[in-house]
Amino acid sequence: MHIAGMIAIGIGVLFLFLGSFGIVRLPDVYNRLQAGTKCTTFGCLFAVLGVGIVEPAWFWKALLVSLFVLLTNPISNHALGRAAKKSGVPLWDGSVVDKSRDFPSYANTEKL
Amino acid sequence: MRILISCVLLVILSLGLVFALEQAPFGSNQIDNADKPGRFYLNQGMEKTGAANVVTSVVVTYRGFDTLGEVTILFIAAIGLGAVFHSRKKVKRYEKEKQSASLILQTGCRFLFPLIVLFGTYVFIHGHLSPGGGFQGGVIIASAFLLLFLGCEEKKIPMKSMNTVESLAGIIFVGIGLAGLYWGESFLENFLPRGMDYMLLSGGVIPIIYIAIGFKVGAELAGIVAGLIERNP
Amino acid sequence: MEESLEQILELSLTLLMLGGAVCACVFKDLLNAVIAAAFVSLMAAILFYFLQAPDVAMAEASIGAALTTAIFVIAIKKTKRVEEE
Repeated sequence: MHIAGMIAIGIGVLFLFLGSFGIVRLPDVYNRLQAGTKCTTFGCLFAVLGVGIVEPAWFWKALLVSLFVLLTNPISNHALGRAAKKSGVPLWDGSVVDKSRDFPSYANTEKL
Repeated sequence: MRILISCVLLVILSLGLVFALEQAPFGSNQIDNADKPGRFYLNQGMEKTGAANVVTSVVVTYRGFDTLGEVTILFIAAIGLGAVFHSRKKVKRYEKEKQSASLILQTGCRFLFPLIVLFGTYVFIHGHLSPGGGFQGGVIIASAFLLLFLGCEEKKIPMKSMNTVESLAGIIFVGIGLAGLYWGESFLENFLPRGMDYMLLSGGVIPIIYIAIGFKVGAELAGIVAGLIERNP
Repeated sequence: MEESLEQILELSLTLLMLGGAVCACVFKDLLNAVIAAAFVSLMAAILFYFLQAPDVAMAEASIGAALTTAIFVIAIKKTKRVEEE
């Protein structure tokens, strides 16, 4: 039990570190959002569940906290990406496809 | 030159603070080195008032009059902000450039708002049993209203009922103090029975005061945020 | 020097707080300065928890990191965003 919890916490910390490393090194705001959402949500989930396994009395509270993080982190990053697109932040030079031009409300928003 | 002088002053100030606070007994493993009021509150706080959280019993019972002063200061600050924002003309919402939030954000905000209000209510109702209390719970409720203002814009929050709730909560706080004068011996005295330890209805008048403070601070800060957002720049 | 893990953690949190406070004074774009100030409040809240004062930590985290940041951002939206010399 103790060993399984410590392994889960270790995996969570590793993913959190990789996520923050990606936020520093990726070239564009839209790429940084990908790293920021997926890695940090997963790392947070595993770290909190690992704490819940190490102390079995806190397991249901840890499950509730991790469900809350799983619900709110993607919504906030979606709001960030939408705000960046509406303000006109340009895509990276090496981008291949930009699907948002198909939608009329995002047209002519690149002014920077 | 100015930066150099300010850095030197900062170093001198911080060294002075470090030497002054180094001997202070922080932490629970230094209870025997604390001075007499600290030891009195820690050893006898729970038996005399019945609240498990010693900080709560100090804030509400032993130093309740100072808490009344603090609540009054918050009220005066809110009145000052309202006086600054008051304008003779009718205030329109700034509607020229507003784009409504996306569907994901609106659904998420509508789902999260009652959960945050529930958590804030839990924090100030259990103020005498776990860390927290009236001020912390009130600020959490105000941040729930901030989420509602930023996420979903079609819902109109009735600001008149906010002002009514805030005023009523303040009157209840002073009313409890006067009731202590009537039934007990002094203003803001703990006149209700003490109750069993670690139960929700224990500690006499402490949970009632914290409920009043929680409602008051929450309604006040939500009103301040609403006044800031809606005012025409 | 033999210091326990807790002292090293407190020292690193204090240094981060200092760096954040210097950044909040130096930045020219006011939104970045507001985020640095919220970072200082967050570090202070964690330090309060290490000093065994959970009530103060909750108050600092909710007021300093959430509410004053929102009020500052609303105020910046109504005035200018970049601080000139």
